[in-house]
Amino acid sequence: MSAPSVLGPKVDLRDVSVRYGRDPVVRNITLSIPPHFIYAFIGPAGSGKTSLLRAMNLLSIEVDGAAVTGEIMLDGVDILGADVDRTVIRRKMGMVFATPQPLPRSIYENLVFGPRLAGVRKSDELDELVETSLQAAQLWDEVKDRLHSSALSLSGGQQQRLCIARTIALQPEVILLDEPCSGLDPISTLKIEEAMDSLRSRFTWIIVTNNTKQAARVSDRTAFLLLGDLIEDGPTDRVFTNPTDPRTSDYIEGRFG
Amino acid sequence: MLSDMASFRVITPRREQAIADVILWTVMAFTLSMLLFIIVFVVQRGLPGLTWEYLTQAPADGGRAGGVFPMLIGTLIVTALGVVIATPLGLGTAIYLTEYTREGRLTRLIRFGAECLAGVPSIIFGLFGFVLFVIALGFGWSILAGGLTLAFMILPTIIRTSEEAIRSVPTAYREVALSLGASKWQSVVRVVLPSALPGILTGIILGVGRSISETAAVIFTAGSSLSHRAPTSLFDGVRTLSVHFYQLAREGISDQKAYTTATVLVLAILIINVTAYVIMNRLMRRYR
Repeated sequence: MSAPSVLGPKVDLRDVSVRYGRDPVVRNITLSIPPHFIYAFIGPAGSGKTSLLRAMNLLSIEVDGAAVTGEIMLDGVDILGADVDRTVIRRKMGMVFATPQPLPRSIYENLVFGPRLAGVRKSDELDELVETSLQAAQLWDEVKDRLHSSALSLSGGQQQRLCIARTIALQPEVILLDEPCSGLDPISTLKIEEAMDSLRSRFTWIIVTNNTKQAARVSDRTAFLLLGDLIEDGPTDRVFTNPTDPRTSDYIEGRFG
Repeated sequence: MLSDMASFRVITPRREQAIADVILWTVMAFTLSMLLFIIVFVVQRGLPGLTWEYLTQAPADGGRAGGVFPMLIGTLIVTALGVVIATPLGLGTAIYLTEYTREGRLTRLIRFGAECLAGVPSIIFGLFGFVLFVIALGFGWSILAGGLTLAFMILPTIIRTSEEAIRSVPTAYREVALSLGASKWQSVVRVVLPSALPGILTGIILGVGRSISETAAVIFTAGSSLSHRAPTSLFDGVRTLSVHFYQLAREGISDQKAYTTATVLVLAILIINVTAYVIMNRLMRRYR
């Protein structure tokens, strides 16, 4: 194992704007996300956090009909380029949605959905992926005896960990989390945060959250967005203790938003 | 004072609910009893004549004697052909309308066209099929012409029900499939269609029901001549069960045989529907 010679950013946003129709909801954002970091986006509703996240795995273009301009570099390659295979990008940048979204099939089938599409066929390989992914998401002990029962029979917190495990099973490099704990109880939230922390050596995590305390607890770097503009970004400790912009401190201290 | 006020309110919410319950129950019971009445009326008169021989023998003496074997086979084949042709066309159109276009003038036009098609009387379809398939394309009165005509007739139903079914699949399922590295087509085939299957199948079953019981459209296209042997080629003409029933009843050939034919029709539709739902339940067990 040789260390990478140049530790460049994993994801590099250069002058990224996202618009639905005429007015941009995200304006000219430039920032770098280093590898193996937990990077948090915070900001009030309507600040463009989710739009930015959905631009990163190109869902906003394909599903929402958004126009994304600028450059989104993954390992130095612009994923907005014309010759990019979206399915390959999405396997490298897995995504977990705000509400748990298990597909209506068994736990096992949920987990092997992505790997099968990626061409994994052998059942022992799939079995192993299922077990390691569930363990990584801290769900294995709870479901190992009922892998073939419906994913819809799990509780909300378990469903969300299943979705995280399903994303991990893609063996991605980056995991995008869109307010993953917004509907969950504190214990499920804690388990998800523990999973993120224990897996930071394997993935780069990008999390959008409405919960500033969560950003402070889990992230290494935090970016604060307001009405589509990047107000500031920096090491989480610094952003939370000594923000450079008064709007950031207002938001963190709960004076608006 | 308060109790005075209350006494003016003759209809309390509770009584209102009770009245609604009674009305709804009555309406339901009326609908169900009409359906039962029709089935009992037909089956009671037809069932005595329904024997194994009736199903497996050719008719004799213009339908006064013998069975309905050629009609039974002909009906099943014409219906199957219509459904087999209409299902991929209708489902494909529905997938295109829901997944591959944004709402616009074109989709509205296609949907409007399908709705107009659904409102066209079946005898017009019969005439169209006669002119196009029987005469212009030279198929003659045949299973092929009948099946194609039925396909066009049930196409709007299949498009409409499939479209509704596909549209009711949560957008989140599509997003999940895409986010897990599926292409658009893979997300449609592996996630959207399995979830929409019950609705799609309902449309197909409606199509089967309409085809099997259709009379006007098939008289013009599949023919009505009495055959004594089962069809062996797509270019053979057939008299379907409903046409046979029509001829028996209208020409006053045999009331008894007419009711028995009707019983066969009713039972066939019943068997097909039940079988389809059983198969669907088996398939859907994986997706719960």
